[in-house]
Amino acid sequence: MHEYYVTKQIVDFLLEEAKKHNARKVSEVHLVIGKLACLGIEQIKFYYEMLTEGTIMEGSRLHIEEEEVEVECENCGYKGEIKHKNMDLYHFLLPVLSCPRCGKEVKIVKGRECNIKSMKVVV
Amino acid sequence: MSKDILKIEEEKTVDFEFDLIRRNDKLAEENRRIFLENGVRAFDIMGSVGSGKTSLIENIVKILNGKYSIAVINGDLATTIDAERISKYGVKVIQINTGKECHLDANIVKKAIEKIDLKSIDVLFIENVGNLICPSDFKLGVEKRVVVVSVTEGERVIIKHPLTFLEADIIVVNKIDLAEIMGVDVKKIVKDAKSINPKVEVVETSCKTGLGIDEVIKCLEL
Repeated sequence: MHEYYVTKQIVDFLLEEAKKHNARKVSEVHLVIGKLACLGIEQIKFYYEMLTEGTIMEGSRLHIEEEEVEVECENCGYKGEIKHKNMDLYHFLLPVLSCPRCGKEVKIVKGRECNIKSMKVVV
Repeated sequence: MSKDILKIEEEKTVDFEFDLIRRNDKLAEENRRIFLENGVRAFDIMGSVGSGKTSLIENIVKILNGKYSIAVINGDLATTIDAERISKYGVKVIQINTGKECHLDANIVKKAIEKIDLKSIDVLFIENVGNLICPSDFKLGVEKRVVVVSVTEGERVIIKHPLTFLEADIIVVNKIDLAEIMGVDVKKIVKDAKSINPKVEVVETSCKTGLGIDEVIKCLEL
């Protein structure tokens, strides 16, 4: 739902950075988006195209890498993938915050990000 | 004699470490520090449109007004309807109209708290924009995150919106006086909440009758 807002911030940031590097064109952009971020990749791509139109970013290739979720358990020291509950009825894997090893609650340490990694510019 | 100048385009890569969500997290930490320094206990109240966020705050304020000096920040796309409802109780209310944004973020809250004399406040309720999806990405710097759901949203409201509930501290299941009429089994809602978030506290309330409000106050440790 806030993909427009987020994409606008990304594009504004990159245009500003491109200017600092005296870029004539931006040819590539790399983003990393966590699987637990409430951000739809397809929507980001759609807004990206729309928001870069008529700028030096127009036509640039947008690469989005999805980052896996990582959790940590303070009780048993588990560090790794988040546990999922299989909701057969809904054809859906539900992320759950209990430790896959000891069942106690875990903390999310990775998977919430929306990171601008890099851009390729033509100078 | 003319010279031919060959112009070569140079391509270079620029790396960043710029994370929009982490940037908000950092601002949220700053808010948290401001709250701590001023002895303010802040709570984020999230939930769908019409789940009962304002009613819950009204009910809590009715009981705690006098014991604490309370302020409320109301986030909505437009209007001051909620702010007017709450200000009846004589507490300080700041209305934030986000215009288009579907959530509050740490930056907008920081601007709002600049308008409050925090030294004179003990408790701050921040009513988020009615939405079960977007607020989960944006921490505000509060002590506890409360999500209000109501039985009229259906039995499976929690597993349909797991992300918001994953990081909640308290889930309030509101309008339980309507459960029977709606044919909703409240136990199922509670079970779903506990199954995705084992540490969460779940309280059943009816903001209409006042049922369960004491329990919510206990969970907020107020």
